Amino acid sequence: MSQGPFKIIRPSDEPPAELRKEVMGSVKLMMLMMRFMQLFMADYAGTIFENFRIVGRRNERDGMKGQSSPEPPKT
Amino acid sequence: MDPERFGVLYDRFVERVYHKCVSMAGDKEIAKDLVHDIFLKTFANLSKFDHRSKFGTWLYRITYNYCLDHLRTSQRKLAVDVDDDRLESMEDDTDRYEAELLSLRADKLSEVLAALDPADRGVLLMRYQDDLSVKEMMEVLGLGESAVKMRVMRARERALRIYEELIPEGS
Repeated sequence: MSQGPFKIIRPSDEPPAELRKEVMGSVKLMMLMMRFMQLFMADYAGTIFENFRIVGRRNERDGMKGQSSPEPPKT
Repeated sequence: MDPERFGVLYDRFVERVYHKCVSMAGDKEIAKDLVHDIFLKTFANLSKFDHRSKFGTWLYRITYNYCLDHLRTSQRKLAVDVDDDRLESMEDDTDRYEAELLSLRADKLSEVLAALDPADRGVLLMRYQDDLSVKEMMEVLGLGESAVKMRVMRARERALRIYEELIPEGS
């Protein structure tokens, strides 16, 4: 089966050389952003966890203070 | 994957992707932008490649779909109505339509493809320029065998209709 005209109009020129630099630059930038996001997300989760612990500790401390610490004697 | 290793993939497939984009968009500057975006999209989605098809086929599918999305939103379409009832009786005419399409002059074919709906253009280029088999087209388009054949048949019919509109008989 002849597929003449489709083959004739097939593009044959090389892709522009500067395109590689552009693509690889964007790929590197995207990779940096992905890594940054990963780091941020990991740190963000850790921060939330830390905050919960701090709040919990503070409440405990406040509760203990209310129950057992005697008031300083008035002079 | 690190960017250097991705560079190897780029070098191996860029020509094929670029040619596909030029064929689909009909403009080298647009094709350049499309290639850039397609490789970025590919890099971002590498983890989704499940090795069920060849990497080249997977990339071809991304290329085709990305070009189609881009052209659908940016290109003015030439509306050509096709009577769907007629398509049922077209099976017998397949060879005639195919022979007619493949006998067009190259410059006329370029005009017809430029005026054709991007999806139809993509299907015809896949079949007759990139020599994809029906099975490969099924993978790229995500369709069954009969649906692929029907798409090719409809695209051929529409292309010939446009040819008749653009180049009236006798001219």
